[in-house]
Amino acid sequence: MPIVVSTGRSGTRRPFFRRRKSCPFSGPHAPKIDYKDLRLLQRFVSERGKMVPSRITAVSTKKQRALAQAVKRARFLALLPYVVK
Amino acid sequence: MAFYENVFIARQEISAAQVDGLADQFTAVLSENGGAVKKKEYWGLKSLAFRIKKNRKGHYVLLNIDAPPAAVHELERQMRINEDILRFLTVRVDELEEGPSAMLQARGREDRPRRFDDRPRRYEDRGHRAESVQPATTEE
Repeated sequence: MPIVVSTGRSGTRRPFFRRRKSCPFSGPHAPKIDYKDLRLLQRFVSERGKMVPSRITAVSTKKQRALAQAVKRARFLALLPYVVK
Repeated sequence: MAFYENVFIARQEISAAQVDGLADQFTAVLSENGGAVKKKEYWGLKSLAFRIKKNRKGHYVLLNIDAPPAAVHELERQMRINEDILRFLTVRVDELEEGPSAMLQARGREDRPRRFDDRPRRYEDRGHRAESVQPATTEE
């Protein structure tokens, strides 16, 4: 599903306009969300061990829910920390 | 029959051979109850992100299971009893994945670490100027 991008390529008017990124889990070559894929999950977890909000990572709402589930499973298995002190 | 993924963590003190024995034991439990293990993966002795029952490390084993719910129920009961098992997680999945899981694929790539992001780094991004950049030691 293409995300409508109102590209401000004539961005001289709005200098702080950022192009809206599309969801990293949508599209043909999107990675599968898997609680065993630490390399993937770690990109969506902060240094402190908290999940990064989707408004920053641009993950869609549905995929963010799936991602949250995967992170929680990984935490339960002590693959990811609950909190980094 | 339904598909399940089961990951269990065994105590760090036991040997890899004993972990194998545990896995065989659980496989037997499943087959007695009409199930089957489609794939077994040993992830090795990994360090835990936090301590579980005073353990800092644990043997991780993944079992891909095709079994009726009753067999999985029995498997989980056995795991709860077994003191060598620190923790286990059983997840129902729509289909079992073929080939090695993401965990083992990451293992193969470890000798060739890759960057997570594609953010251009200073020197590489400069391209033509990169060669002319002097090492920091020669500067003031």
